[in-house]
Amino acid sequence: MRRRILATGLLLGTSFFFAGAPASAASYVPVSGSGSTWSANAVDQWRRNVNQYGMRIDYQASGSSDGRNQFRNGTVDFAVSEIPYGLKDGNVVDQPPARPFAYMPIVAGGTAFMYNLKIGPNRVTQLRLSGETIAKIFTGVITQWGDPAIKADNPGLNLPPIKVVPIVRSDGSGTTAQFTTWLAAVYPDIWNAYCQKVGRGTPCGFTSNFPSSPGFVAQSGSLGVSGYVKQDQSVGAITYVEYSYAKAAGFPAAKVLNKAGFYVLPTAEAVAVGLLGARINSDLSQNLTGVYGNTDKRSYPLSSYSYMVVPTTLDNGFSTEKGNTLADFANYFLCQGQQQADALGYSPLPINLVKAGFDVIKRIPGAVVENINIAKCNNPTFSADGSNTLAKSAPQPPACDARGPTQCGTAAEAGGGASGGGNAGGGNAGGGNAGGGTSGGSSGGTTDTGVAGGGTAGGTGTAVGTGSGAGTDVAVDGGGAAVVVDPETGQVIAADPVVDPTTGEVIVDPAAAAGGAVTGGAYVAGIPVSTEASSGWGPYTGLLVATFVVVLALLFAPPLVARTMASRRAGGDA
Amino acid sequence: MDGVVEPRQLTTTRSMTDRIFRGGISASGVAVLVIMALVGVFLTIRALQALSQAGLSFITTQAWEPDGGNFGIAAVLTGTFLIAITAIFFAVPLSTGVALYISEYSPRRIRQTLISLVDLMAAVPSVVFGLWGFFFLQGQIIGLARWLSTYLGWIPFFSVDGSDPDDPLSTATVFTSSTFIAGIVVALMVAPITTSVMREVFSQAPVGEREGAYALGATKWGMIRSVVLPFGKGGMIGGTMLGLGRALGETIAVFMIISPVFLIQPNILQNGTNSISALIALRYGEATPFGTSALMAAGLALFLITLVVNFIASSIVARSRSGASTD
Repeated sequence: MRRRILATGLLLGTSFFFAGAPASAASYVPVSGSGSTWSANAVDQWRRNVNQYGMRIDYQASGSSDGRNQFRNGTVDFAVSEIPYGLKDGNVVDQPPARPFAYMPIVAGGTAFMYNLKIGPNRVTQLRLSGETIAKIFTGVITQWGDPAIKADNPGLNLPPIKVVPIVRSDGSGTTAQFTTWLAAVYPDIWNAYCQKVGRGTPCGFTSNFPSSPGFVAQSGSLGVSGYVKQDQSVGAITYVEYSYAKAAGFPAAKVLNKAGFYVLPTAEAVAVGLLGARINSDLSQNLTGVYGNTDKRSYPLSSYSYMVVPTTLDNGFSTEKGNTLADFANYFLCQGQQQADALGYSPLPINLVKAGFDVIKRIPGAVVENINIAKCNNPTFSADGSNTLAKSAPQPPACDARGPTQCGTAAEAGGGASGGGNAGGGNAGGGNAGGGTSGGSSGGTTDTGVAGGGTAGGTGTAVGTGSGAGTDVAVDGGGAAVVVDPETGQVIAADPVVDPTTGEVIVDPAAAAGGAVTGGAYVAGIPVSTEASSGWGPYTGLLVATFVVVLALLFAPPLVARTMASRRAGGDA
Repeated sequence: MDGVVEPRQLTTTRSMTDRIFRGGISASGVAVLVIMALVGVFLTIRALQALSQAGLSFITTQAWEPDGGNFGIAAVLTGTFLIAITAIFFAVPLSTGVALYISEYSPRRIRQTLISLVDLMAAVPSVVFGLWGFFFLQGQIIGLARWLSTYLGWIPFFSVDGSDPDDPLSTATVFTSSTFIAGIVVALMVAPITTSVMREVFSQAPVGEREGAYALGATKWGMIRSVVLPFGKGGMIGGTMLGLGRALGETIAVFMIISPVFLIQPNILQNGTNSISALIALRYGEATPFGTSALMAAGLALFLITLVVNFIASSIVARSRSGASTD
């Protein structure tokens, strides 16, 4: 019996594995591409996955501008870019290539604002920023974290007067293009004033090369900016980068205020909801004005799609064999690959764009048209009626994420709870949920338990008055709408001793509770983010030691061997 | 007697093998010159478009916006030299010490090992140095940079805008991505070649003179000062200049560490600097045809400077006594 179950499981697993797998495992040839670093984490994951089918996809994440340029010059077979050809950047029009091409959406995602901020010894993880504050930060208007505008967004954080260090991209970047498109569309005054200050023509519109100015730090590539922000000395730094980089670095991203007045993280759901407002042009390129102004409470305003530029004729050394490989790769990532989008920090494509993508694949010369059953792709956005399931089922933001005096995961939330009665308890649970989403529910080594506990204790104190509102997994939104808190995430939080809203331990500590109630403003976000590797001898440590030994051996072996041999030879001569 | 004595004609009849060999090596020698000339010609031709538009302002402009017509190498050239000078400042004492230790002090048993290690250092890819500098060194060096700026800030080169030693909340980011850090990393990349040249020269210091110095009662250090160092002076200068040539052209490690700015930035501890090669690496991929021409012009400038530096180096090495045997 057990064996049969095992066999069935294996069979299921294998069939799942090969569902929609390229049928023509024929002669694949290497295909090369370059471009966006924004979507590079997804592309890299996919091309590693298709390696098992014998496809070799070379991808160089050198920036969207470089990718488009290389595709135009015919040095790569495909490019990945956030923005299409033909846009005017400054006074240069990015000419489309002479070879015929098509755009194919590959993945959605949110341009996140990853930051490194500490209050005392505690890492801030609950930062909230309105669009205007972001615009002012990246145009040098706001230079201190203690600025009143930032404080207004974060009533629960007592932000110190640390210098704001905006980290921008030094290379031509699609991320910069997306960010500045948003700046130019939503905050034209702030953006144009900055352009004028740095000597660019106004109105300056979007640009792929962010104009840096003194006080800013410019780094190349998404890895460059996120790598800079995560370094210990970079306290006060903030950058714009795809959410997956913040996730990979274990760093928090700011919640951005949407049109409905809620601060939202660029989670897969929030991006999917946000992109419901996107208008898709006939060439599949995107018009994001509707996303910026999306009035859904759950939407993330800086959501966008990333595109692959594929050739549609046999120019510049593109062959039908390459076309076949590229088409099968695209078949893979448009179908199965989308399942991984969320885990990587992206958002899966909705069904209409997947279908449109399959139509584009047919135009690639050499593509073998396959009958892929879209329903079997297990894309979380798909539904029977064609609506976007992911967006539909996206949770409402907790009340404490609304613009106002409450702030999730901070002591200000407790203050709000005291005045607002029972509802804040629900807000607390919801806040825990959001925080759990950011941190993956792990407890970090950096949060000072004493202070954070004080803050949480305040919150819990109010929750006790409201009974089990925070204890159960259903919480009540401040506005009256019911919010369903993910029970799993709720459990993770409950297991976390620091932010636990249900245990009594912390409440028993009257000093902490009083502290939370009295000087609520002085407390830091209580939801820790795992920013340090777990201590102890893990597999990574072993690997590290092994690497170290290998490097040492490589370093010392050649000269030692040479010496031994030389002395042996000398001995022979003598 | 005819009275006129014709001097005997001396001819060398070279064997076939000899002639083939000579032909081969002459061709190699000429090929190097031809390739260099072709590189120069290529750069000049490609740069002409930008140079003719920019004219003399190419030398004096700090900004780099070729498509806006406003571009020049004033900032990047200054940055290039500052990084190179910082690198040389660290590399030369280090190399001199290493070279002296290897050639004079090290036990014979480990000498070959040390030589191999230094040569191995030259074989480490520069991107590795860059990664190391960006992810490790940068965080570690800030303390030194802060100390320097706090106590030596009155020297214009060491002042850092935005650092306040009295403010515990002042950001450390002003000390990152600086000329100083890039210079230290480049110093480590330059050190092997400088060390090799110096060690070679030191070890050739004539034995007779060494023994003479000892005979006159010199200590080991006295002998080094009076014999080895004067003898190796030309080699030291030459090695330094060779290192400078390499430091000027170092690309990827600098590219990874610096935060490019297009302003003349003389404060070496301050965030933000630039170099010609890093600029080319940064902008080449995305440049328009005219932008590429402008980058070629910057490359031409770097090419000429490096050529001059190396020419000076080789002439110093050639004119020095280093390597010559004593009578």
